[in-house]
Amino acid sequence: MVPEDDSEVFEITDFTTASDWERFIARFEEILHEWKLVNRGYLQPVKKGDFLNCNWEEKNDELTFADFKFKVTYMVLKTSSSGSKSGKETKEEENEEDQDEGTPTVFSDLMNMENDFPFRAHCLSRWYGLQEFLIISPASTTDAIDSESRSKLLLSSASIALNNTGCTIPVYVQVQQRWRKLYSGTAIVPGASVEFEMAHLKKIPQQYNHLAGLLDVFKSKLGCVYISMPPVSVSVRFTYILQEWIHCPWPQSPPDFSSFLECEVGCSDYGVLPFGACIDPISELNLSCTWPSLSEDMIVENHVYSDLDPLQAPQWSVKLQMTEDAQCLLGEYLREFLELSQHKETTDELLGHVLDETDKDQAGDITQALQRLTEPAVGYNIPTLGHVVSSATTKLKMKPDEAPIPGDILNGVLLFLFPDAKKSEKSESKEKETVEKSPRSLKLMEDLSKQLKSSPVNGLTHRLAICFCIVNHHHGGLRAVAHLWQEFVLEMRYRWENNYYITDVEHGQPNMKASILHQKLQMLNCCIERKIKRESLGYGHGKDLEHDPNPTDHADGSSRPLSPTYQRRPLSTSSRSQSPSSGSMGKRRYESLDISSSDEEFFECDTEQGEDEADGEDHESFADTASHKPDGRLAPIKDLKLLNSGEQVYIPITQEPAPMTEDMLEEHAEVLAKLGTSAEGTQLRARMQSACLLSDMESFKAANPNCILEDFVRWYSPRDYVLEELEGEDGEKVKTGTLSPRMKIPGNMWVEVWQSAKPIPARRQRRLFDDTKEAEKVLHFLASMKPGQVVLHMMPMLIHAAIVKVIENEDQDTENLKVLLDQIMNKAAKVTRSPLMDARKYEDLVRMIELAETVIARAKSLKTKFTSDLLDMSSAEEELQVFVNSLLRQPEVIVRGGPCGPAGSIIHKLFTAAQRASHMVLDEEEGEIKLEELQKPTSTVPDFPRPSAREYILRAMVPRPAPYSRVLPQKMYCVLVDDFRLAGAFSSDTTFQ
Amino acid sequence: MYGFQQNGTYPPVMASANDSKWQKDAADQNFDYMFKLLIIGNSSVGKTSFLFRYADDSFTSAFVSTVGIDFKVKTVFRQDKRVKLQIWDTAGQERYRTITTAYYRGAMGFLLMYDVTNEESFNAVQDWCTQIKTYSWDNAQVVLVGNKCDLEDERVVSMERGKQLADQLGLEFFETSAKENINVKAVFERLVDIICDKMSESLDSDPTLVSSQSKGTRLTENANTQNSGCSC
Repeated sequence: MVPEDDSEVFEITDFTTASDWERFIARFEEILHEWKLVNRGYLQPVKKGDFLNCNWEEKNDELTFADFKFKVTYMVLKTSSSGSKSGKETKEEENEEDQDEGTPTVFSDLMNMENDFPFRAHCLSRWYGLQEFLIISPASTTDAIDSESRSKLLLSSASIALNNTGCTIPVYVQVQQRWRKLYSGTAIVPGASVEFEMAHLKKIPQQYNHLAGLLDVFKSKLGCVYISMPPVSVSVRFTYILQEWIHCPWPQSPPDFSSFLECEVGCSDYGVLPFGACIDPISELNLSCTWPSLSEDMIVENHVYSDLDPLQAPQWSVKLQMTEDAQCLLGEYLREFLELSQHKETTDELLGHVLDETDKDQAGDITQALQRLTEPAVGYNIPTLGHVVSSATTKLKMKPDEAPIPGDILNGVLLFLFPDAKKSEKSESKEKETVEKSPRSLKLMEDLSKQLKSSPVNGLTHRLAICFCIVNHHHGGLRAVAHLWQEFVLEMRYRWENNYYITDVEHGQPNMKASILHQKLQMLNCCIERKIKRESLGYGHGKDLEHDPNPTDHADGSSRPLSPTYQRRPLSTSSRSQSPSSGSMGKRRYESLDISSSDEEFFECDTEQGEDEADGEDHESFADTASHKPDGRLAPIKDLKLLNSGEQVYIPITQEPAPMTEDMLEEHAEVLAKLGTSAEGTQLRARMQSACLLSDMESFKAANPNCILEDFVRWYSPRDYVLEELEGEDGEKVKTGTLSPRMKIPGNMWVEVWQSAKPIPARRQRRLFDDTKEAEKVLHFLASMKPGQVVLHMMPMLIHAAIVKVIENEDQDTENLKVLLDQIMNKAAKVTRSPLMDARKYEDLVRMIELAETVIARAKSLKTKFTSDLLDMSSAEEELQVFVNSLLRQPEVIVRGGPCGPAGSIIHKLFTAAQRASHMVLDEEEGEIKLEELQKPTSTVPDFPRPSAREYILRAMVPRPAPYSRVLPQKMYCVLVDDFRLAGAFSSDTTFQ
Repeated sequence: MYGFQQNGTYPPVMASANDSKWQKDAADQNFDYMFKLLIIGNSSVGKTSFLFRYADDSFTSAFVSTVGIDFKVKTVFRQDKRVKLQIWDTAGQERYRTITTAYYRGAMGFLLMYDVTNEESFNAVQDWCTQIKTYSWDNAQVVLVGNKCDLEDERVVSMERGKQLADQLGLEFFETSAKENINVKAVFERLVDIICDKMSESLDSDPTLVSSQSKGTRLTENANTQNSGCSC
């Protein structure tokens, strides 16, 4: 700080803004300046439809009067033209300011008839037709300006500010409680001012319940002191509500829930998700009949007579009221199912007590209970796999009456999941109904299968998910899910132990594009396949043939029912009488089998195992040169002879590499990656992966006695055997081959492994893929899942099924549905592919699906309501379709041709029918009142009900306050619903008073 | 661990190698993105040499034929972002197909390699391409690479044929030599570019993606959560 400056600074006290009141005005003026609302040109009148199409812009600030806080809000309609025009006008105004030309915005708005009854607008703009205004309201929602003097004080302060700044925008003060929407306001324009006044009554006073009464109010308010008052212009809108749809009760018939409980339905019901709304998603139709700008002389409406017949109205418009919660079934099922994922209980916690009790039962009782369960209530000859297993593994013992899912229903469900357990004749009768699908939906479904990480449609995993969702809804929620899951896991174990393929799960390597649950089931199938192969080879020919279901038959994925083998199973229905003994026998046999296979370390076991083993050891030291009996040959390789002996080279039978599920692969890759990038890491990685190479080399050696590494390489990696043409001494070209340089690197992996490889045929090698271990891992994975996790694991399939359902029901005409469907599919692809199963993401997805369902239900509902059957002229069908589609898209739709158009005539019919129907039940009295009001003596029942809302806009150009004042616009808006509201804007000349 | 920590060439790698989640270690602060790439192609077209040239800038005329699958890591900078490339090298022998195709799923980019001196390896390109289509996510990016272009005398596949095939398959194309270090870096840089473009494209086309975790492959996850909305 420089001292000289100090002396020049002296304190300034601004005595001009001393009181709260003055400070309020000053601050308000400041705000007006900040928002650049002063000395600004007038806005263009709003064009037709702008209120619907354009958005409002809002600015807020705070203002205090003493310690009372207010909020100042500026609202302006952003019309497409507003930006450029206002700029231009400011310039113009600068030039023409003195001439004082142009109509103030507030005047043009008041008299603008283009947007008399906007569908959607701020109430002030609805009442006064304004495109911009300011509101001063208490900042806190609990405060209210409840006395008239306070509101007057505020308003006069505001008008001082307006006067000072020259701002012509109307200012309103909100008085009384917020919900009453009471505003009083003022606007100052050059040479005139506008007072906005409002009346709000709970009940409609009888004398003002019609146009004539309202005109009286308007005229008396104008204080018509002179004789020749110009006619008042009147705009009227009556709104009628249609709630009863006589022609078309809501078409969605909710699924027959009783059938589920009685279990009389076919199996397919467990595989079909419900779709549609339980309640009509369209609750009501509002018909607005408008008479725009009539002269007061042209229409009469008083307490005895009315000209305002809706059928005579020049303009009709319609909007729909949607049911808030239409109870869409698909969404409901999905939501309920997903909610289970929040539960942390284990299966034991859920079902434990039921299981424990029955554990004490004697074995005989159990079988009896099982017999009861397997009672052929369904008429099929069901072996009810799950229960058979439960006896075999002594795991799931449940009193039938305490089980969450009753026995017969469980049978039905299991039979649905595993149709191969059914008798062959039955399976033929169950044919899938093929619904005709449009190319678009077929394309969509194909895309869906590609994008989502779920499982093939109609496969076991897919059906499983749907089935669980339905069981959850109908048969007792979480406990039922836990019960069914346990049954499912038991069935999986049964199939593994008894060599039955899991049907409808495709064979081969686990498909990494599918969900993890599906991959696990595929893995289990792989294990079963290997086990069957192993046992069929191992147990030799004839010895255990009856136990050998032809593996190739199943491997090709044929849906051949397994009933013949199933009939040999203990406890099948045919041999139930002897079930106790055969059951235990069967069990013992399986157990012993299990032990032998799990102890088995080798690729397959052989009766001559010991002998061969010794052989192998004998040959060990000889490695390459040893001559032994060739073993494990698959096929000769054409034109390839062993280099040493010149014998034919044979492709050996090799072990197939181990199939892996995605999580296993990730684990494996993680282990490999952990070794790092150094040379040692590389070496270790190679060694870790050499098992397959070793196995192949051993097989090769076994199949080709006297072979050398060169022979192996020629088969295995032909490019590593380099042929060279050398010219011999006698000029003859001689082809000699040698290993490629990389194979000659001393101590390299290939040489090393070759040296350690013994001639052992694949079937006697150590197993590369331990099917027993892997199957147990899968079964453990399945069994250890909590029901909540089960739910999450099923979500991909369920979402897939739900989207398919949406596509099936898709309404081709609804444009925004297509967009929504695209969004759903994108989101579903992302969510299902995410490695983290996030329940919240699925919730979003379910919500989107539910929305799509609602949109479809609405479209359906509307289409049944406006059927072409109701049309008089068949030619208008197209017109009707356009009307229906625009109803779904737009909030309010003008009925083309009004009451005379095709859509109008249908609406008329709908109302008439609803009226007739309601008057059958209604008592005479009320009918008479209506008759009196509507004045339709020709028919006993009026075509339309009483209007639910009546709106009148009265306008006049009248000089105020004195006859010699300027002619200024005057307007009064009246709305008569249950309550009664008048909103008047009265201008008066401030010069010639 | 196996001496790699003395190998100071790629400091960013260390943290990730110590991490338990090799695919999605968001905790690793040493890179902004991680791309998993795969080199595939017939046996002895030079995949391992190519990778060594890129990652270690070294060349040996003979590497041991890869058994199964191996990998190297290289971190590159792209628009001020550290992109960690985890490049998996695969065995080309027919017998290893089932093993290697399992790894296709997590890969964001492929280098499909053939040997310009070997007709057979060129003829197999179509097959490899089919394999990619079958086993990878639909938005994985592929570059076709004709290796050993230094061996002009032994060349049997002309550059034009390579280019033609690449056009036909809709792939980018390079002729390279790991031995002479021709185009090696360019191939990887181009592949990273394509992947980044694809990523930002999907970000642009779908604004919701910014907040969501992954699009296509999981590897983007790390990137998306750390740098949401970034165009790479």
